[in-house]
Amino acid sequence: MLARLPLLFLLCVVLVSSQSNHAQPGVVARLPRATRKEVVARAQTLASHTWVCGASNLRASCSRKYLSDWKPGQRVTGIPYRWGGTDGPEEFDRKLANGLAAGAHSRYGVLSCAAGIDCSGFVTLCWGLSQTGHAYSTSNLRSIAGKPKYNWFTDMKAGDVMNKAGSHVVLFTGYNPDGTINVCEASGSKSRVVCSRTTWSRFKGYIPLVYKGIDD
Amino acid sequence: MARPSGIISLILLLGLAACDASGGRTETAPGICTISLTRVLRIPISTLDAHTATESPDASPTTLLLSPGATDEPPEGPDGFDVLEDGSLLITDPLRSRLSSFDSQGKFRRTWKIGFRADSVTVIADGLVLVREASTGRLHTYDQEGQPRSVTGDTLPERGEARLQPGQNRGTVSRPSIDRTHGGPLGIQFDKPGLTLLSLQSLTTDQKGDTYVAVEATAGGRASEAINLNKYVRRYSSDGKLLCEIADISLDYYVPPVDELRVHKGVLYQLQTTGSEVRVNVWDTNQPCSRPSP
Repeated sequence: MLARLPLLFLLCVVLVSSQSNHAQPGVVARLPRATRKEVVARAQTLASHTWVCGASNLRASCSRKYLSDWKPGQRVTGIPYRWGGTDGPEEFDRKLANGLAAGAHSRYGVLSCAAGIDCSGFVTLCWGLSQTGHAYSTSNLRSIAGKPKYNWFTDMKAGDVMNKAGSHVVLFTGYNPDGTINVCEASGSKSRVVCSRTTWSRFKGYIPLVYKGIDD
Repeated sequence: MARPSGIISLILLLGLAACDASGGRTETAPGICTISLTRVLRIPISTLDAHTATESPDASPTTLLLSPGATDEPPEGPDGFDVLEDGSLLITDPLRSRLSSFDSQGKFRRTWKIGFRADSVTVIADGLVLVREASTGRLHTYDQEGQPRSVTGDTLPERGEARLQPGQNRGTVSRPSIDRTHGGPLGIQFDKPGLTLLSLQSLTTDQKGDTYVAVEATAGGRASEAINLNKYVRRYSSDGKLLCEIADISLDYYVPPVDELRVHKGVLYQLQTTGSEVRVNVWDTNQPCSRPSP
């Protein structure tokens, strides 16, 4: 019996690690497929979506402490940031027309009376997971996206993400000749979806992930 | 017989060289001359109340304001800054839609009530200041007293273009020709055992033609737990000689910075907003630097 202990231990380790880092095979099999081109195109659509903030979109009917980031009549490029949000362009426009608030930060709570998208909602929408609501956050993204074995600094591909569990996730879109990188993200500090050029320093502690439904 | 203190002084003298080439004492061989952190300016912060999403009534107006964020939302707060001609600092205070200025010792001076959330500040020629609106990317122009100026078509000054030579730990940075100095491409060679060059960024070229370059490097891009890297800033003379290097740059940011590094009159500044204060780390490259012992 004692001789079998190492084997049992190994079995336990394998079981625990498979539970923590991987989704059930069926879940992965059901993930919508997406090409990298499609993923980046969706990101650019969300970052370039133009809208005008009406007077009714400055208020959140379900929150008394809400303060808008926008001015009445302001024309904005990029879907606004809403903590807990997953709205794509059509859904956002519909909610805006219905008088919901344009965007919201975590300090106001998850607001059902606001429209917009947050960081994990953004990357999952770019991957084509539009029907899942907010099933994935930075903390369980690894169940549908694996840690790659390639060199992160040279071999990442557009459509991969850089994730920091519990904090933030951004979509990688390319390298620049000077070694800096391009990313798209739903940014709370910029109040909307933006694509920008940035240095690696911002991503110390992040982990690159590759969507398991990607079609290479 | 020489006294021990005399010998120590002699060793120190030989081991130090001025990073500023004007003294004519600058040498980089055999080791790179390094500058250590000169001083830290500490600016107090106030934090938004999590329940009311407002400032505490006793929050001092001389502080900068921070929102701690939440799960899946990074903290927000001061993320942009620049240094004015007199060495004072202008720092964004986005949650109050204003900028705050501090003297060169970090003492509060005054606020600029700009009425929007700014994420970047850039001092440009003629004493003008460009302030970028975070939610639109639009640039607004102010004079150094904080009065808006109606200047159309202002754009951020272009930085020298940099280019890496993949897999070779070297690259080039373009630089302007100032007062008949060399100008043209500056060759960067990064030789540190076990480290791979990741990126190059030209920070500025000063009036003497010295160029300041930010360098990112890593020990590896796979099999590690998470992305890890180091950042260096190097000062090169107008004839391309490496004068000194700053290697002790902390990348532990609480609020991710937009304006991470600024150079003014040979002094490097880093904005680092932590959970308890805003730090401005200062390295004076005009001071003597030290070379490692052979």
